[in-house]
Amino acid sequence: MFRLHDVSYAYGGSRTAQAALSHISLDVPQGEFRWLLGPSGAGKSSLLSILALEAQASAGMVEILGVPVMQARRGALARLRRRIGAVYQDFRLLPDLNVFDNVALPLRLQHRAEAEISHEVHAIMKWVGLETRLDALPPQLSGGEQQRVAIARAVIYRPALLVADEPTNALDDRQAARLLAMFHRLAELGTTIVVATHNDSIVRKYPAPAIELAHGHLVRDYR
Amino acid sequence: MARQRYHDGLALHQALPGRFLPFLVGAMTFLAALALAGGIAAHALSQRWTHGAGAVTTVQVPNPDDPAAANAGGASPAATRIHAVQDILATTPAITAAHRLTDAELRALLAPWIEQTGDGSLPLPAVIEVHIAPTRNPDNALLARLQASAPGTMVEHDSVWSDRLAALAGSLQACALLAVLIVMTVAVCVVMAATRAGLQTRRQAIALIHSLGATDGYISGRFSSRVGLLALGGGLCGGVLALPMLLAMSHLAAPFTATTDTLPTMGMEWRNPRMLLDLLPHALLWMLLALPPAAGLTGWITTQLTVRAWLRRLP
Repeated sequence: MFRLHDVSYAYGGSRTAQAALSHISLDVPQGEFRWLLGPSGAGKSSLLSILALEAQASAGMVEILGVPVMQARRGALARLRRRIGAVYQDFRLLPDLNVFDNVALPLRLQHRAEAEISHEVHAIMKWVGLETRLDALPPQLSGGEQQRVAIARAVIYRPALLVADEPTNALDDRQAARLLAMFHRLAELGTTIVVATHNDSIVRKYPAPAIELAHGHLVRDYR
Repeated sequence: MARQRYHDGLALHQALPGRFLPFLVGAMTFLAALALAGGIAAHALSQRWTHGAGAVTTVQVPNPDDPAAANAGGASPAATRIHAVQDILATTPAITAAHRLTDAELRALLAPWIEQTGDGSLPLPAVIEVHIAPTRNPDNALLARLQASAPGTMVEHDSVWSDRLAALAGSLQACALLAVLIVMTVAVCVVMAATRAGLQTRRQAIALIHSLGATDGYISGRFSSRVGLLALGGGLCGGVLALPMLLAMSHLAAPFTATTDTLPTMGMEWRNPRMLLDLLPHALLWMLLALPPAAGLTGWITTQLTVRAWLRRLP
């Protein structure tokens, strides 16, 4: 779950600051699935960056999984990040690690046992249909395959909050349907999920509460 | 298992290549060893000059066997000039020892000049070697008292010369210390530059594992372990390379710093490692042993601080 109160965010230096979000207030409880809608430049990626602790709000109050982010120490933020999964538009796979090691990365940073890591990675890679590509390097994969690896890495540690930026972009309809079914299943298990998209057809096909942004402002918070 | 544990994407063997840094740290360690050796040698010479043979004052008493002056102020007037002088020296508190050179010692001392003149019957003064406590200088009153008992007595303070040499040795020590500090500063700068270059090379991987919950301590620990080991290796190489040069210098300096009965015998010690190491002053040996761990620790601390400062850029 997360709560934002009167949050604003600007990027760039102090002289060239561009407002990306203005006075956003949201309250999303545990286990909820939300679409994040809006045209390009609406502030969807900025909002997801704040939720993934990749950016710090310029003003307002941000509380994620019960932690007041603006007041938290760096160590507490690092622990909080281990409970947040993120799927980025550009996948952010490490090109010199193979698929197995990319997906295992979050578990290794949590110092899990290698046997457990191996079991978890094989299970999730089977689910995304890439169990035969474990030794491949990211540049050897197609865009859709890279996206599935990025999704596997984001969900392998069953995060309490999952944010995804256009996660179905490079997927075919069948893969997209499987992915959204898994997201709904994760939400049922207690994960709060926010998925940004500007694909109206997929939203119509899989209806769910939505947050709509335009020009950095909250237009609607459908429930 | 260990190999798997470090598959965290940092790829430090790419970020911090294993040749450049050890080479530079090795060179710095080599220079630091030479500077330390210079400082320790200067200290040893200073000690010798201020406390050893260099601190001797000589008293010359012409016509030593003539009767002492009648107005000598001793408690029991001596019969001869030399006895009057010896009595005064024996009762002066600043003087720790006084030794009258024997006739043979005196002739040995003057042999180069006496042999040149070919005259062995020259009347020679009595010469007394006087050791004075390092912190106490006899005042002019002593010379006045000596001359009152034995007019014409001369006192030569060799300590003036040895004090100047000691001052020179002190400044050499300061230069050596300064050189070590400069070498350390350069080493710290080199480690900082290498670490920053490594951070820049792997910035995307660092940003990713940071976003996945890696702590600043984990990331800085990974970098500093690598740099610490590379610096330790470089320090070991630099120390080992400096050893033969220091041994050769110690061998050359031995006659000036050692007592005559401990002078090494040329050729013998090179076949015996124990004797070889005995050539080095103990202080230098310990410093040489301490240099590689110091290099490793310096690298580790510098990298910790550099990486933690860099990570502050990330939210």
